[in-house]
Amino acid sequence: MNIDLSKFDRFKVSFQKGDQIFCEYEPGDSFYLIQSGRVQIVKIMGDIEKIVDILHPGEIFGEMAILEEAPRSASAIAIDHVEVLEFNKKNFEILLRGNPQIAMKLLQTFIKRIYDQKRRFMILTLPDPQAKVADVFLMLSETQSAESKSMNEIVLNTNVDDLAHWCGLTTSECKQVINHFVTQRKIEIENDKLVIKNINDFQRFVNSRRKK
Amino acid sequence: MPQVVKYKAKSIIYFEGDISDKIYILQSGKVSLISVDIENGQELREMVKTGEFFGVKSSLGRYPREETADVLADSVVMVFTIPEFENLIYTNPRINMQMLKVFSNQLRRLHKKVRSLMSIDEQTDAETGLFNIGEYYYKNQKFKPALYAFRRYLTYYPAGIWQGQATDYLIKIEKYPQGGAPAGSLNQKAQTGKKPSAPEEESKDSKLYYDGLGFFSQEKYEDAINNFRQYISANPDGEFMVRAVNEIGKSFFLLKRYDDCIKHFTGMIQKFPKHPDLPEFLLYLGLSCDAKGDKQRAAGFYKKVITMCEDGSEVKRKAKNALKTLGGN
Repeated sequence: MNIDLSKFDRFKVSFQKGDQIFCEYEPGDSFYLIQSGRVQIVKIMGDIEKIVDILHPGEIFGEMAILEEAPRSASAIAIDHVEVLEFNKKNFEILLRGNPQIAMKLLQTFIKRIYDQKRRFMILTLPDPQAKVADVFLMLSETQSAESKSMNEIVLNTNVDDLAHWCGLTTSECKQVINHFVTQRKIEIENDKLVIKNINDFQRFVNSRRKK
Repeated sequence: MPQVVKYKAKSIIYFEGDISDKIYILQSGKVSLISVDIENGQELREMVKTGEFFGVKSSLGRYPREETADVLADSVVMVFTIPEFENLIYTNPRINMQMLKVFSNQLRRLHKKVRSLMSIDEQTDAETGLFNIGEYYYKNQKFKPALYAFRRYLTYYPAGIWQGQATDYLIKIEKYPQGGAPAGSLNQKAQTGKKPSAPEEESKDSKLYYDGLGFFSQEKYEDAINNFRQYISANPDGEFMVRAVNEIGKSFFLLKRYDDCIKHFTGMIQKFPKHPDLPEFLLYLGLSCDAKGDKQRAAGFYKKVITMCEDGSEVKRKAKNALKTLGGN
């Protein structure tokens, strides 16, 4: 994002590595644009702390708070030394007028989050664990470049914990499904990589499960 | 320039699954968006209102259309490319604001649906939720986030239902700054700014501070002052010292002890001339003078606050309002 942000210096806030930027359920009235460092978004689900997202410079977080006074839906923690621009309801209008690029970026952030949540919902409504895991493969492959999409075989950078998180299964349930796919030779596991032999196979499988 | 395009009744502007970067506004006529409900697979039909945008998300998000735009009666639409749409938004921030509102609503609803599918208890209110987060981290010996959550809890809900327990947890955490936590726990570095010496006294005193906040929120200002004073005398270098002193001043003001309030904050300013809450101290000086009838000095303080603060700050707004009521412009 090549935007001159120097005029927003007065909104700059920095956090040390490991600092909590905000906490789930805390009332929130500001959102942040990352200038440097990475921010981890975590959520406590049942008894597990889940990493929902890792955000990089140029990305926005906490955006839900800007239009509605609702509690934070997740916590934000600085992974590195982090510098952010902090905006709130009051200076938000100034921002929209003064920097339309950020405004556009914010709009796109919302659009992406809506898409992700919808996709998530689609996965969760599938009837059985196999279909759910398969649909996560599809979702992860959708975000890959068009070039790799044209091929049947694709490589996903993911692990069982992440997959389980996406489809709302426990890690052991998810492991079972993965092992099943491995014995069927549909996938291979290499460290933190997952090789999908034929993504179109999975597409057909998910489609057939969804129609019911 | 965006194009104006006419569509005949019974035609289709775009189909679900199409990939396109066009964004539309309905100028006149009747257009219906047909989509599949993600919850039950039923067909959903939604009329586009005149003047409303459609096709925005799939265009800007660069994913396939999620609905079919069906023309029910002869219609006129305005068609924007992405750069044209960006231009429109740059010159009309209000449109963006409207759209953000719609999207944030949609996102909230989706969050709710997803949560219900994952059978996460939707009943948890924010107050209990925040306390639970602190408790979760405490039990998992992640003391830094626990500390943060409990402190926040007590700030927002100083007389809340979990106030006692949150205070107890805080004291336990502060008592063992290095924790009984296993070595290598990342969050241990956490406890910066805590003095390892005499941890026990300090934690007892933290309770004084938090109880003081509790009294304050219950409008028992005398008791609050008492607690804060005890905290300060027992712990002149304590973590909450400045905050406690600040709270005492506010309590004086709310007790209408304006002279005490002025004396108090004047002392604060001499002691901490660069304190980040300086504008607030000045505001209270102004309010106290105001209440005593010393309008001229009050106006002076308010003006000072206004020049010191950024636009949009709460303190500035209060100072402005107070100055206005004063009749001094």
